[in-house]
Amino acid sequence: MALVDKYKELVDLARQNNVLVNESGKVLKLEGVVPSASVKDKMWEIYQRIDPQFKSNDVLLNIKTAVSDGGKVKVVTRESRLNIRKGPGTDQPIVGKAERGDIIMLISKANDLWWLVRDNDGEEGYCYAQYLEPVQ
Amino acid sequence: MKVFRFVSLFTLILALGIGTTSCKKVNDADLQKAAQETLAANPDLAGVVVTVEDQVATLTGVVMDDATKAYAESTVAGMENVKSVVNQLEVVPPAPDFTAVDAAINAALADALKDHKTVTAEVKDGVITLTGEIRERDLPVLMEKLNALNPEQIVNNLTIK
Repeated sequence: MALVDKYKELVDLARQNNVLVNESGKVLKLEGVVPSASVKDKMWEIYQRIDPQFKSNDVLLNIKTAVSDGGKVKVVTRESRLNIRKGPGTDQPIVGKAERGDIIMLISKANDLWWLVRDNDGEEGYCYAQYLEPVQ
Repeated sequence: MKVFRFVSLFTLILALGIGTTSCKKVNDADLQKAAQETLAANPDLAGVVVTVEDQVATLTGVVMDDATKAYAESTVAGMENVKSVVNQLEVVPPAPDFTAVDAAINAALADALKDHKTVTAEVKDGVITLTGEIRERDLPVLMEKLNALNPEQIVNNLTIK
């Protein structure tokens, strides 16, 4: 069975949201920017439903949620507070912490993985983007 | 008289034979040398071997694409005294170079794995291979982080608890 058939539900949602779908040999790649975090979460939910422990090794799902500089992001760590660092790297010193669930401001994206934010205490620094969810 | 004529005729035939054979040998060998030198001037054609017989040039060896294969043929075909070219070149595209891709993924891995101390990742040719163990509820977060590094593939050999 071709991968686009195995993951049909995921592919359909991707195409509805202008996400690039590319099947090449062993891997089905889906890459793009979607308008909201709920679309991204839905895609991951579908992916995990079809491949429960991600053991098929046959999908690359690289989806970002659209957000502009000056926009709001929510801290989505599972349990802990989110470190705010002086520079874009886990080797950088921690200059503050943001509470889980807080909605803070995105100043700008240093790159895809590290975003410059200002939290509600006025602390400014870099957070790992995977723990920040753009909100409308 | 007859013997003389026979000897002359024989000598003539012999001379012609030697002459023809010698000319042919010199031409082919010279042609081959000249063709090989012409091709050697172009690094893209380094894998091309020319052999010439009866002024027909045969190309063997490996080139990187169809355009280069055609170029080798037209270059040799255009040489003086080459009657035709037999193109037996094999097209073998060069293997993709993942050096930069692997370096980029490796640079970002430390941050991605910081909250997943029981996970080990190896990167080769853009493929991330995971070993170690992880709690089932931590797995989706890890997979999201690793997918964001844009690898070619993620191979999940983790023990899931």
